[in-house]
Amino acid sequence: MLEILIHGAVSSAIYAMLAVGFTLIFGVARILNLAHGSFYALGAYGAYFFTSHLKLPLFPAALLAIAVVALFGIFVEKVLVRPMRSSQLAVLMITLAVALVVEQVLFLTFGSEYRNVPAFVDAKFTIGGVDVGGQRLLALGASVTLIALLWLFIQRTRLGSAILAVSQDPQAANYMGIPSDRIFTIVMGLSAALAAAAGILAGPFLTVQPTMWLLPIVKAFAIVIVGGLGSIPGSILAALMLGYAETIVGYLISTSWTEIVSVLATLLMLVIRPAGIFGKRAAF
Amino acid sequence: MFGKRIDYAGALGFVAFMAALPLVFGGNYLIGVLTVSVIYGIWAVSWDFMSGLTGRENFGHSLFIGVGAYTAGFLNTTFGFGGWWSLPAAMIMAMVFALVIGLPTLRLKGPYFALAMLSGAVIMQRLMLIFWEQTGGEEGINGIEPLIRSQLGFYYFALATLVLVTALLLALARSNWGLILRAIRGDEATCQAAGINVTFYKIASLVISAAFAGAGGAMYAHYQLQVSPQLFAVVTSITIITMVYVGGMASIYGPVGGAILLVLLTELLRNFGEWRLMIYSCTLILILFFLPNGLIAPTWRRLRYRLGRPE
Repeated sequence: MLEILIHGAVSSAIYAMLAVGFTLIFGVARILNLAHGSFYALGAYGAYFFTSHLKLPLFPAALLAIAVVALFGIFVEKVLVRPMRSSQLAVLMITLAVALVVEQVLFLTFGSEYRNVPAFVDAKFTIGGVDVGGQRLLALGASVTLIALLWLFIQRTRLGSAILAVSQDPQAANYMGIPSDRIFTIVMGLSAALAAAAGILAGPFLTVQPTMWLLPIVKAFAIVIVGGLGSIPGSILAALMLGYAETIVGYLISTSWTEIVSVLATLLMLVIRPAGIFGKRAAF
Repeated sequence: MFGKRIDYAGALGFVAFMAALPLVFGGNYLIGVLTVSVIYGIWAVSWDFMSGLTGRENFGHSLFIGVGAYTAGFLNTTFGFGGWWSLPAAMIMAMVFALVIGLPTLRLKGPYFALAMLSGAVIMQRLMLIFWEQTGGEEGINGIEPLIRSQLGFYYFALATLVLVTALLLALARSNWGLILRAIRGDEATCQAAGINVTFYKIASLVISAAFAGAGGAMYAHYQLQVSPQLFAVVTSITIITMVYVGGMASIYGPVGGAILLVLLTELLRNFGEWRLMIYSCTLILILFFLPNGLIAPTWRRLRYRLGRPE
């Protein structure tokens, strides 16, 4: 029972980190970013590359990886997505193409075998008779902290309120003197950094290989549909639901069935309440 | 009048060219490449009918292809049905899948459909690996019988199917039905206001598109004589989308040319093996930026204009 509670919390935390970034860039800039999973993969590969090839200590390597991915995200937004923004389909196409290019670059440079991302914490802890890897607990703690910080940043700072304003009405925000284009870039960087952090934190206990972007994007999509596109509280709640649902299914039936949970949730939600739990627009 | 005659002449010339190629150059290798290019043509044209016309991009066309191919594989090996049962069975199965995904997602506007199709294909690929005892896992299903023993015969069968499918979809696209689909692409709300049952047209088009994709999948299974989960992969869908973009979206005949052109080109780039997908993805980005109308359909339109002018 306690095992389900802890492991469910860990996977929920990782999902939440992915989904919050995915929903943030959509809510603010209306960009459905299919390259979001690539940021996650690049984060994990970045940590691997900087520690094993450049021999950096883990902590600076992780920070460097996050910074590089954030810059890459900004590049994608400014150079590739911006000229396409008038058409949502073109944005989907271009971000999917970016995701595939990233996959191919990773494949051509690192090959298809699994890579090891070093763990911050190697120790194992025992909580109430359940063995939990330290890295998992760290991932849980770090993601709760990061999401809380993001929440505070959006609610309490000037830049945060600018982001909120743009998410409500970019044009009106523009009239108030908020440069929405720059806000889009900042949010893309933030969202990419968050995804990269998720990749680095989850990398040690997941398989790191070039196609690792794909399932996270499917899950992030499921979470965001269940929670409501563009709603951060919704995606956190939905991440918890999906994380626990998968863990419970994994324990009760078999781990091979976990992949189906997310799709089933997506389809059910689209039938019952397309706007999601906290979504405002039924269909836009 | 004259324009139409040029179209027919162009189509006839193209089919004659495709039919003559293996006779002139011969060799099983060339026939194999041409067969694959023709099957990709069927997939591309079926993608374009739904997604090109209505503008609802389908990121999981591989779902229908895979379903068709696996249906053919199961029927042929596990249940021992003859090869010709595969085609109708594959079409029906693909249509069922199209209904299951289309009904909840196509009612909605926006990106739900594109993402749901992507997820659907990814999950089907995982399921094929998870239930490896039934599906053969990574290896897939082997030992499927060929439909037609002679390679050249199968190529002509595939080419005839492509011509038939293209003609049918082209006729549909130029009928009222196609007009409505294009109108949906332009402005869905206005169509609804005009009393058009938008959802019905979108779902029916997806079902038609899925049926032909499934048939193509079954043909591919009977050509490769095996199926693998790789058929469901996102790259299959992306390859098809790239072909459509190269050919020219919503032109129906363009994607056929795009598919054949790209398959033949990638055969020339065979030495770059590992770089193939990279080339596809980069082509897609470049086309999106510089040739949003594609390559083949605009070229044909210009050519037709030139030819038609002396009148």
